[in-house]
Amino acid sequence: MSKKNFRPDVDAPEWRGGHSPYDILKEGTIALVVVSLLTVLLSVVFGSPDDPAITIKSWSNAAPVDFATTALSELNGTSTTASYGAPYNHTPDASQALGPLTLEKWVGVRIPIDAANDFVVNPLRTLPYQTALHQGLANWSSASTSTRTKWVANYTKASAGMKFNGGQVVVNATNAGPVPVMINDLTKMARNGALDQALLTGNSFYSTDYTQSLLFISDGGYLGQLAAKDHLLGEQWGVMNETGSYPGSAWLWLYTFFYQISPYNSSGNGDILVLATMILLTAGLTLMPFLPGLRSIPRKTRVYRLIWREHYRNRE
Amino acid sequence: MGPLLYAALLPLNHPGHFLHWHFIEISVANTIVIGLMLLTFVAALVLPFPGRRRRKENQ
Repeated sequence: MSKKNFRPDVDAPEWRGGHSPYDILKEGTIALVVVSLLTVLLSVVFGSPDDPAITIKSWSNAAPVDFATTALSELNGTSTTASYGAPYNHTPDASQALGPLTLEKWVGVRIPIDAANDFVVNPLRTLPYQTALHQGLANWSSASTSTRTKWVANYTKASAGMKFNGGQVVVNATNAGPVPVMINDLTKMARNGALDQALLTGNSFYSTDYTQSLLFISDGGYLGQLAAKDHLLGEQWGVMNETGSYPGSAWLWLYTFFYQISPYNSSGNGDILVLATMILLTAGLTLMPFLPGLRSIPRKTRVYRLIWREHYRNRE
Repeated sequence: MGPLLYAALLPLNHPGHFLHWHFIEISVANTIVIGLMLLTFVAALVLPFPGRRRRKENQ
């Protein structure tokens, strides 16, 4: 029987030296106590991030024109949510793809959102009776799709000069049907907080599903402005950062690094490209012991000799 | 007076500082944390194992 050659990265020689006792439970306990004490101490000294949550109420009060413009984009179907595709709607060619890999399409529309109805029309229907609004919604419901499209298009055309004066959204639009009333009343509804409640979904008494509110807020420009101030945007390595001067998720540096360079930052399929790259790199790390060359790095860098220098000093 | 009792000594809820180098952008806070992690790593490599002297005496 021929003797196999010794492979330095794969085979471990039989240990013939001495042994030292090592109490891993003691070390784990010490580590736990030290980290717990450090956590309490650092939180007493530095506190924790405490930015108030952004609601539709706070947004529409701080930037009513931005809110009304966003509401219009939900109605005319140009908002990010309205044209996002899966999992929200069936917008054709909106899903990202990497060759035959079309994850969003495979998952399908799991959280169906009809932006015009869910964000504008249906919340308005929950308001107490108001003649102009009630009549406007009745007209909207009975109008044909082409008539609605014409109303919305006429209002959209005039909305470049949108103003907010005396608590009213002012747009000089003609032949816009009930759209001016709908946008104005939705803005009022948002400013008094009723829209936040109307967009909460779920059947339980304490609903915590803020999907619709968050999508509506992220369709506007206000959230992006606040995020930019705190360096939280994607192009600012935002996923690594935290509000204020607190350290953030620094360990996500590699993930967000790809979003800063070409072709990832210019491709319409950027997310799936980054995902695929990270899967490949993670697979490389996981399979390191099986990859010739890579698995030799620890042996060739000899960092282990620094850690176990006492042992090697005694051996030499 | 109540809320003051719970306030942090040095709260960091003020705009952060950021370092820029070409397309790289990193907050000073993250840089400090990464620096501390590297320092811990080097210390773990360089500092002697605790209990080494005791083991030596036993040998």
